Amino acid sequence: MEATTLRRRGRTAAAIGGGLLALALIGGLVALLGPGDDGPTSAGGSGSTLGATWTDPDGDGALAWGPGEPLRDRTDLAPAARPGRTLATFAQITDAHVRDEESPGRLPVLDRLGPPFVTAFRPQEALSTQVLAATVTALNELDPQAVAVTGDIADSAQANELEQAIAVLEGGRVDPDSGSRGYDGVQATSNPDPFYYRPAVDAPSHRGLLDAAQRPFRSPGLDAPWYPAAGNHDVLTQGVVAPTQRVARAATSSRAIAELDEDLELPRSSRSISPELVDRLLSQGLGRTARTPADSGRRPLAAGESLARLRRASAARAAPGTDIGSGGRLDLAFDIGPRARGLVLDTARRDSGSGGLVRPEQLAWLEAELDRAGGRYVVVFSHHPLRASEGGEAALESLERDPRVVAAVSGHAHRNALTPRGGSGGGLWLVETASLADFPQQARALRLVETEGGGVALETWMVDHTGGTLAPIARELAYLDAQGGRPAGSRGGVGDRNVRLALGRRSAEGASR
Amino acid sequence: MSNRPGAAYLTGALARLRVRRGRGLLAALGIVAAAAMLGAAVTVGYGLATGFERTAERADLPDVIARFDEERPARVDERVRALPNLEAVSLRLEIRDVPIGAGSRYTGDGVAQVVREGRRGYAIVEGRDLRPRGDEVVVESGLAREWSLEVGDRLEVGGLDGGARVVGVAVSPDNVAYPLAAGPRFYLSNEGLLARYGDPSGAGFGEPPVNSLLLWTRDPDRLEETLTQARAVSYGITDLRFITRSGVQVLIDQAAGIVVALLVAFSLVALTSAVLMLAASARADVERRLSTIGVMRAVGFSRRGVAVRHAGEAALVALPAATLGLAIGWLIAAGPSADLLGAINQLGPGLALLPLLGACLAGIVAVVCAATAWPAWRAAGRAPAETLRGAELRGRGSGAGRFSLRLPAPRGAFGLGVRIVAARRVRLTATAAVLAVATAVVLLMLALAALLERLAEDPGTLGKRYELTADASSTSAREVRALPGVESVSPRYAVEATDSFRLGENLQVIAFPGDHTRFEAPPLAEGRRLRSSAEAEIGVGLAQALGLGVGATLATQLPSGEETRFRVVGLVRALEKDGRVAYTRPRRLLAADPSIEPELAVRLEAGADRAVVERGLAAAGALPQVTGGASTSNRSFLALLATLLRAVALVNGLVCLYALVQSLSLTAIERRGTVATLRACGAGRAHVVLVLAGAAAVVVALAAPFGWALERFALAPAVAGLAADYAELPLGAGGGELALVGLGVVLVAGAATALVARRAAREPIVRGLREG
Repeated sequence: MEATTLRRRGRTAAAIGGGLLALALIGGLVALLGPGDDGPTSAGGSGSTLGATWTDPDGDGALAWGPGEPLRDRTDLAPAARPGRTLATFAQITDAHVRDEESPGRLPVLDRLGPPFVTAFRPQEALSTQVLAATVTALNELDPQAVAVTGDIADSAQANELEQAIAVLEGGRVDPDSGSRGYDGVQATSNPDPFYYRPAVDAPSHRGLLDAAQRPFRSPGLDAPWYPAAGNHDVLTQGVVAPTQRVARAATSSRAIAELDEDLELPRSSRSISPELVDRLLSQGLGRTARTPADSGRRPLAAGESLARLRRASAARAAPGTDIGSGGRLDLAFDIGPRARGLVLDTARRDSGSGGLVRPEQLAWLEAELDRAGGRYVVVFSHHPLRASEGGEAALESLERDPRVVAAVSGHAHRNALTPRGGSGGGLWLVETASLADFPQQARALRLVETEGGGVALETWMVDHTGGTLAPIARELAYLDAQGGRPAGSRGGVGDRNVRLALGRRSAEGASR
Repeated sequence: MSNRPGAAYLTGALARLRVRRGRGLLAALGIVAAAAMLGAAVTVGYGLATGFERTAERADLPDVIARFDEERPARVDERVRALPNLEAVSLRLEIRDVPIGAGSRYTGDGVAQVVREGRRGYAIVEGRDLRPRGDEVVVESGLAREWSLEVGDRLEVGGLDGGARVVGVAVSPDNVAYPLAAGPRFYLSNEGLLARYGDPSGAGFGEPPVNSLLLWTRDPDRLEETLTQARAVSYGITDLRFITRSGVQVLIDQAAGIVVALLVAFSLVALTSAVLMLAASARADVERRLSTIGVMRAVGFSRRGVAVRHAGEAALVALPAATLGLAIGWLIAAGPSADLLGAINQLGPGLALLPLLGACLAGIVAVVCAATAWPAWRAAGRAPAETLRGAELRGRGSGAGRFSLRLPAPRGAFGLGVRIVAARRVRLTATAAVLAVATAVVLLMLALAALLERLAEDPGTLGKRYELTADASSTSAREVRALPGVESVSPRYAVEATDSFRLGENLQVIAFPGDHTRFEAPPLAEGRRLRSSAEAEIGVGLAQALGLGVGATLATQLPSGEETRFRVVGLVRALEKDGRVAYTRPRRLLAADPSIEPELAVRLEAGADRAVVERGLAAAGALPQVTGGASTSNRSFLALLATLLRAVALVNGLVCLYALVQSLSLTAIERRGTVATLRACGAGRAHVVLVLAGAAAVVVALAAPFGWALERFALAPAVAGLAADYAELPLGAGGGELALVGLGVVLVAGAATALVARRAAREPIVRGLREG
């Protein structure tokens, strides 16, 4: 599809704001009336935040459909210039954390211990597939040339989580349930543990939400080819430790941890968690358990299995010119139209630890792919921000020397951030995007454009998920979550969201290496 | 004719009033009495009904107060700041049992509130707020009042060298005032103390800890969402308890709420009664002047002119009389009302009452004018000859055939009086109605006074059937049961909890092992009594607040953070805690929180000497306490209030006198010819008295039972329902009150008869024969 489609939509966003408002009101009303079967296919309009977005103008915890955020110029690397022809359009989905919230392989009880376990439970966790599906719907409206899914697609490397996520991305029937039919987890009304949000009885009340969340639904699937990056949660249990036999047994068993032993000593940092430690804790018993329906589909996948499954799913829709890679790492390269190239770096560790890692051999691969990029602009994708990954600095040094490299796009931090990084090649932008799991539950749209005077700029804006009756509830709950993205400042500042990142004139003929 | 018809009307009206000075004075007295009742009702009702909101607004009372075990401020602050819908938060350290003194006064129960920068949640009513100095203190108004502290005085505070200077007096309605509250509160500056002493707690946190916080939300309607999140992030913070604004109100109500509610409800009833009486008396006044109306019509006055003239005259009487009456009512009620508000840490309405009293004044004048103009208009619509004959006013089409009053009339002068008054059926009905309403109000006042006393003293008003409680930690139930005079003993568990699904709603869970109705038995309104520890009977007040019914689940969150659920099997009309109570058995409660300690409820044998049992318990070290009523801690005030109500009831008796005097005067005037003829035939003053006594007897005979029925079946249920529809309030007048009021009515009738007879007997017989 022509890249101008995206631009046209951007220009008309304000004009259709009124219509969106009405649609949003209707959507909100429908959401108030109660959850339906699935609904992500019942679109509520474009999710572009250029025209309108969800805000809390009164600060009272209630989101309302408000004015959008027009693009602002950021001139950290080059002066602003009038945008011209579109060179490439693409989008980023990150950290969907599709979660089997009923799995005994999880430990939501850890949530109450506070950091570093705050993501062990989320009030909206039963709606992760619906949120991803609603995001797919919104991105299809934008019609990008490619979509990068930058990791943490699944939450705990379980087979059923990955399959659900892929089903949403590929399109078709999605069954978010596990175990026996219906919800069987910590948010059930029958659970007398008041620390969990129980939608039927706690505020805000959403009766029937959990049952609705377990019903199968149809996902439209991404229209554009999509390319995955490996995230730590895709290959490690809870994103921290490689699954072991004992972990697999726990995840597929019929006993879930309901209460931790009071004298249990847990590590206070994810760095000190190892497969051996997890096995030891599991063998000694973590605490009181409760019966839950077992499900063999909860089997944790080895890293190789996860990546192979992702590679296979992506390859099925890949555009020509894609190098989907092979072997134990998910490093791949793909075209974003004729003028840009995307490179995906696999930064996930394989044994333990949630941090990123760029291996020396990946640097060589990166250099080789840059050489192969020819006269095209290059965008590098990874789950972990390179600047915060072991070995990432070396990769960035390599990238900053190359004038064709315009951005390194990542997720993991669950926070929007746009950071300029200068370099002999003219510099690049480090683009970090918040997650779908936490507020603001937005994807990111990106558009590489020529600018007056022969330069280029990378325009980027956030995209709200649209449609459905359950995903809006997920956003509401994510916003209220006192351990979630709102208090953590995940939206970032206005300069981290809808901006035009000036890159200036640069040669697209090769690196200054 | 004057060019200014208004001035002419006024001059004429004043002239007519001067001519009928006595009658005008009588009408004015009636208005004064009714207006006084209205003024008192409005002063009490408005002041008390709006006291909490008014003070909360002025004091900037937070939406939530949270209390917990001491914590590092940063740890608490970090979590609170993450809450949605948060407008502001202030952290505090509350230190209890602080010895304080001033002059010769001393207490060891002082409650120090160490406040930090930010919003305070109290209103400074005198002096100024704290500055960050270690030698300043703001005291609560109850303490200032009780100890006669003024700004500039020194307050000795244990731990503070040289004490602190009182720089301000504050009011915060989050608790009742000292001495109603056990400990007097005072406020110190955290920054000031830090500068002067360092960490005052010595808790070793490196900074002064906090154990409470005040939280303001942007939208109080979304408080539940905020509290749900607060609970979710409260891990590690122990003994966390939330209390919301509505929870604070319940707390206050425990001390005085039922009294406030009763007075407000009574005020509403009094207000209605006053309006009725005003209207009735104004109408009666027109009836007395039917001949004048006939003459006016005969000489060419228009119908409208007649009505306007009468209304104008009525306004001239009503305006000063109502002003005086309202002022009297305000004077009577303002003092006790202010005392009650002060006792519960609430501010008086001040000048806000003036517009309301002004509206009352306008309302009274309007009612009197309308009630005068309307019958005058109707009377002026008839043929002058008919009016001059003195026919009664009656609705169109209502004839004598509609109802016929056939009273057994004795013979003689007394019987003549009966027949005379019975001949004017509409007037008789109106007079009897006024008297009945006044009687009912008096009965209600007396019943209310009696109830207030019972609320102060009698645990039975709460459905409690035990007379004493004892400390269970130092003695066993078996030992106590062995004491002479003790009939039965049971552990009683009481724990303050919140509804786990609606964290803003507070309740008290009370548990007895076995049959709780032997010790506490509020009447069952619906469902059945509980049979297991998984079941609960809940107060109707709680059921209303949470929308629960029989068969629903009550989920309570205990201070320990544990949630316990009960199936609601019955609703009870409990008065305690505004009916926000739940009765259950202790097993499930203790499973959730084994640290809950019971007390012993001690039920005495019939006729046992409570003092003897108390001594026995004290000897066993069981710290006996007498079981109180609903408002025991406010006992002296309630006694004052009861006395006041009885005094007002006495004054209200004057309304009865006024109604009777007016009715008899009217009868005497209409029948002056008959009276004159009797006297001409040799009847003495005693005969005249007998005639009028017969007339009065008819009115009283009709009004007294109607007044009783009105109080019993209308006013008492209305006041009880308005005050506490979740409980059963025994507001029906008892035998004593009935006998007293009956006697009062007879005395009033006698006095009215004597007064009117005296006047009638003074009139020259010839004049009576000529004009009658």
